[in-house]
Amino acid sequence: MRDRLPPLTHLQFAVLGTMLDTERAGRDVRDAIARFGVKRSAPAFYQMMARLERDKLVEGWYEQITVGDQAVTERRYRLRPAGRKLWDATRAFYERASLAATRERWSDA
Amino acid sequence: MRDAAWVTWLARRLPQEVFEDAFVPALADRRAASLRHLASAGWMGRSGASFRYNLAVLVLILQCWRLARGEARTSLRAATAVDHTRTGSPGHHRQREHFVMNLGYQLRHAARLLRTQPLFTTATVLTLALGVGANVAVFAVVEAVLLRPLPYPAADELAVLKHRDERTGIEKEFIAIGDFIDLAARQQVFATFFPYSSGSETITGQGDPIRVDALSAGPDLLPTIGATAVRGRLLSETDAREGAAPVVVLGHQLWTTSFAADEGIVGRRIRIGQTDREIVGVASPGLRFPATRAREVGIVVPIVLPAAAPAERKSGWVFAAGRLSPGIDAARATANLRTLSEQMEGEFPVSNQGSRYFATPLADTVVGDTKRPLFLLLGAVGVVLLIACANVGNLLLARALGRRQEMAVRMALGAGRARLVGQLVAESLVLSALAGLVGIAAARWAVVALVSLVPPSVTAPGLADVGINGGVLAFTVGVTILTAVIFSALTALTVRADGGGEALVAPGRVSSSQAGRRAAAALVTAEVALAVMLLIGAGLILRSFSNLLTADPGFQTSGVLTVDIALPAERYAAVESRSAFYERAFAALRDRNGLVAAGAGVVTPLTGNNWTVPFERADRPVPAGQRPPDVGWQSASGGFFDALTMPVRSGRVFATSDRAPAPRVVIVSESIERQFFPGETAVGHRVRVGDADAEIVGVVGDIRRASLTDEPRPDMYFPFERSPGTATTLFLRTAGDAAAIAPAVRQTLRDLEPQIVLGTTTTLDRVRADSVAGTTFALSLLGLFAVIALALAAVGVYGVMAYVVRQRTREIGTRLALGATRQDIVWLIVRQGGTMAAVGLAAGLLTSWLAAESLAAMLYDVSVTDPSTFGGSVGVVALTAVLACYVPARRAARLDASRALRRA
Repeated sequence: MRDRLPPLTHLQFAVLGTMLDTERAGRDVRDAIARFGVKRSAPAFYQMMARLERDKLVEGWYEQITVGDQAVTERRYRLRPAGRKLWDATRAFYERASLAATRERWSDA
Repeated sequence: MRDAAWVTWLARRLPQEVFEDAFVPALADRRAASLRHLASAGWMGRSGASFRYNLAVLVLILQCWRLARGEARTSLRAATAVDHTRTGSPGHHRQREHFVMNLGYQLRHAARLLRTQPLFTTATVLTLALGVGANVAVFAVVEAVLLRPLPYPAADELAVLKHRDERTGIEKEFIAIGDFIDLAARQQVFATFFPYSSGSETITGQGDPIRVDALSAGPDLLPTIGATAVRGRLLSETDAREGAAPVVVLGHQLWTTSFAADEGIVGRRIRIGQTDREIVGVASPGLRFPATRAREVGIVVPIVLPAAAPAERKSGWVFAAGRLSPGIDAARATANLRTLSEQMEGEFPVSNQGSRYFATPLADTVVGDTKRPLFLLLGAVGVVLLIACANVGNLLLARALGRRQEMAVRMALGAGRARLVGQLVAESLVLSALAGLVGIAAARWAVVALVSLVPPSVTAPGLADVGINGGVLAFTVGVTILTAVIFSALTALTVRADGGGEALVAPGRVSSSQAGRRAAAALVTAEVALAVMLLIGAGLILRSFSNLLTADPGFQTSGVLTVDIALPAERYAAVESRSAFYERAFAALRDRNGLVAAGAGVVTPLTGNNWTVPFERADRPVPAGQRPPDVGWQSASGGFFDALTMPVRSGRVFATSDRAPAPRVVIVSESIERQFFPGETAVGHRVRVGDADAEIVGVVGDIRRASLTDEPRPDMYFPFERSPGTATTLFLRTAGDAAAIAPAVRQTLRDLEPQIVLGTTTTLDRVRADSVAGTTFALSLLGLFAVIALALAAVGVYGVMAYVVRQRTREIGTRLALGATRQDIVWLIVRQGGTMAAVGLAAGLLTSWLAAESLAAMLYDVSVTDPSTFGGSVGVVALTAVLACYVPARRAARLDASRALRRA
């Protein structure tokens, strides 16, 4: 079978990866990818998340939280089955690709 | 956290998609983060939080604009320069995006354009920065002194009780003890209401005697102003009862410096004045009350008041203040106090006739004197900014007129008027923003210089920490946006709706548009008018100030040294011992220091003191149930009159023979003689003094007692010889330099009494200068701003006339070729400029004449329409304007006719 390149970018892969086991607040996701050295302004980050939503990979909603005695909203996200499937497929691709690369290196030797 | 209206407005201009996808969730995060920060921040962190939040939101909006532009680019919508506003709107959504994209694009374009004209840009930015910088610097001082709340919790609820005598119009802050006790029992407007008084005391028994700032206070004062005890406790109700054991609370600084922060201090006893007091606690650091005090309070002792008002209602005096009950403002409190004053007047007509109590916000009493000069300065720098704006407006206009061909080409290619105006707006914005940045940088420096120049006698709260903070920044942004709006409006006038077709047809021959020319002329006229107004205002105030400086106080200040002294109270408990000391001291000072005269007085003139005493002729007592009128009170020795060289109109001054048991005597000022003894001489008459009579033995000249601006009022003098106090002020006249003998005088006094406490030693000249130091400073600044305004106006007139000459080069060449003389040309140009200036002068003169009335309260001995000031100011501006026209006119006259024609 021919192995096709997955449609996810590295950034999208990293973002979806932060939500594998749990739903998360947008702020947390942004903090998590900041650890990979990804610096995005909040608007740019949320625009990217909106695109992931539009592609039905994640699901987003507003939830009310309280800070001090004030109620504010925050945007929360969870992975949709399609997103999960695509992430799994992408990871599998990278695994196969790295395996193939290792094999070739050994056979060259 | 609330979004400012302009933030919401800007956000709503974002494309719908970006707004919903990116802005809304990012804003929610920002808000939560700000709230979290707020919850953990202290009071300091919370100040300016709203400003910082709105700034952060503005950044969010800018980031969203970038996103929107990026999106638009990828969809190739922005690639063309086609103007949608002209070719028909593709819908609201698109238009919004367009506004965003255009603004960013135009700002960058403007910045590039300005970079290619460094000379123009630098001149514009520096002129504007001068205006903005001066405004920011003065505003920073206004903000710190007037707008920042006092360092007490909920300071706006604190109010001070004041008293006005309706018959004499004299206002006082101190009130009679009897009145305080009754008011405290009856008033319903203060949640806490307390007496206080401040002064200085001597602590003895700790090595050298220490002179400290003392506050006497009711027990409620300290908690009300937010002070706490770091050791022991504060004052309690029982401390303030009659017969309670004397206690004291130490100030934090005194505790650390003079008592080495002794942990076991509570319970120790110290001697303050003549009383042994137990230290019950140490107050928290930074205790300052009243707020004008430059130093921290050293000791706080309770004011002990009787439980009920004494029969002699004026047996003592206190100050009173309090925290207003929720929902009560100073006006409502005053209404209540007025009713109570009238009640008390009915009950105690002898003591309370005409007495009216009222409440004033504490902040107002603190900033009282500084308020008017500061707002005046703010007004003056405002005018400077306007003139700077007019100058820059002129530069921009001239430039815009030079670009008419470019504009016409762009219009012909399909750019809309809106787009072209947008371009000009963007340029104005960039220039203003640059000027704002440079202005702030300059202001940072100017503020430091400004504060260091403030004379030390000006003790306004907040002056110590004047700086550029959030409020000042917001003000700068406001000023900058305002200047940008003004220029945009001006330059927009030059873009014509008809497309300016003739500029395309004959590019070189187009004269400036009608609207542009009119705008330039209007600007110059306005500039001249503003300069005249500022000059007249400053002139009036400076003139009245110079009158003030040269006003005759009624006594000579030069050559007089004043020394505040306090004798150890125990050793000088008896009147005789005090009299003996002063006699010895005056003799020794005269012998050893070569003094011309030496005397003692309790009240130092020109320091704002207005203590009074009732005046009543013994032979004409006031009818029963009425209160005699008040006159100024002073206790002075015979030498006092000699030292101040006050003229003795008749009779004699006091002498040592006036000591008890000699009959009581007083001296009155000549206005008492005029007022109460019309047509007769006062000397020999008797006046009521308390329960006894006293004979008037002398009449002296009137003096301005409280301040130089006060008209001389009636004063009565009591013999210091008869009741010498332990604390007084010595007035020493020398033939030479008064300040030079200060060290020797102090040494002489110490030799006489090693335990003497020597307080402020200064000269009467200095006292006089200090009494007007704040005004001197404010007015020097005002003069400086007036000069800057004049210079800017001159530059403006010159700039416009130079431009006019350039525009009319061809015409001038023709005239010269046809036989006009050089004088004709000079006259031609000067006449044109002169007409504009004359209209400006007339407008400025008229406005000043109408507005001068508002300055009346600040003027002293000068009419609001003082002809010499008006004439002088107009003359100076007119001369400046003519000179500014003459320089370009001469250049025009020197033109070579053939070359001028060819060039044109």
